[in-house]
Amino acid sequence: MKKILSLFLLIFILSCNQKRVLPIMGERTPIARTENGKTVIDTQYATVPPFVLLNQEGDTVSEALVKGKIYVADFFFTSCPTICPIMKKEMLRVYEKVKGNDNFMLLSHTIDPDFDSIPLLKEYAKRLGSDGKQWQFLTGQREAIYELAEKGYYATAMPDSTEPGGYVHSGGFILVDKQSRVRGVYNGTDAKEVDLLIEDLFILSEEKE
Amino acid sequence: MRGLLIFLAAISISACSDSELVSMQQLSSGAKLYELHCSNCHQADGSGLAQLIPPLKSADYLSKSALNLPCIIKKGMQGSIVVNGVEYNQKMPAQVNLSDKDILHICLFVLQKFPEKPISVTEEALGQALQKCP
Repeated sequence: MKKILSLFLLIFILSCNQKRVLPIMGERTPIARTENGKTVIDTQYATVPPFVLLNQEGDTVSEALVKGKIYVADFFFTSCPTICPIMKKEMLRVYEKVKGNDNFMLLSHTIDPDFDSIPLLKEYAKRLGSDGKQWQFLTGQREAIYELAEKGYYATAMPDSTEPGGYVHSGGFILVDKQSRVRGVYNGTDAKEVDLLIEDLFILSEEKE
Repeated sequence: MRGLLIFLAAISISACSDSELVSMQQLSSGAKLYELHCSNCHQADGSGLAQLIPPLKSADYLSKSALNLPCIIKKGMQGSIVVNGVEYNQKMPAQVNLSDKDILHICLFVLQKFPEKPISVTEEALGQALQKCP
């Protein structure tokens, strides 16, 4: 009996130690360099491009905001009658898990910057329960946001008059590591995928750089 | 699976409500329509979203103003509303794709499912309220 118990314990410990390694998404570029007379090939991974946006306080923010942080990005608009409220409910769950932990940030980008003014975003953030620092709400030039979504975060965002609310966008939560590399895209309307995202956040935080 | 759950929920609700007033058919139709047209914002469990979207679950507003429900769904709502002591101020869009019958079935479902104690209002009373929307 004791043997069986210790066997179970062993299996339990082993299975706990098996951590998933998260993929690095996007294109890779080989870079050749010479080291001690030999040619070494390094892999350069795709990163989220630099950006300049405004947050819900009206402050200018750039990629410096998330330097050295693990963060989750998403795209939404405040008047969205479709998937956004579910996404925000789920993001709120992520927020509860990382609140107060300096390693992590959340960035929600509006895809309707004409309507979603800075005061409106501020009010939205406050009502949602965000502290406005660790979870920020970003706006800017429409084209800049759409380009950042598609090229930086592999997300869709565009106006579509046939869609309720007038925009089509993906409900993805995008996980970005400390080196600005996208490490996963999760369906922000699916609680199970968001559970996985929460797990992966902590896997990333223990990853050696 | 979800459909089955809703169906079972509808049966269990109808089992404890006045079958004279609300039929199982109305409730299961209302449950399906709720999932399709309401649950994105008010959530499947009726819990709403933080201080942005008011809850339906255990909402005092429902017991006070059940007959306002049809017109809120049909015409949408704008401005401040207080539910369970919390003020909300997010615009609710009008549900233009719903027929009057659909709206009534959603009301019957919501009034049975979410209050602490199911609120019994007849489809006729709700239908009359719907005809008098401002």
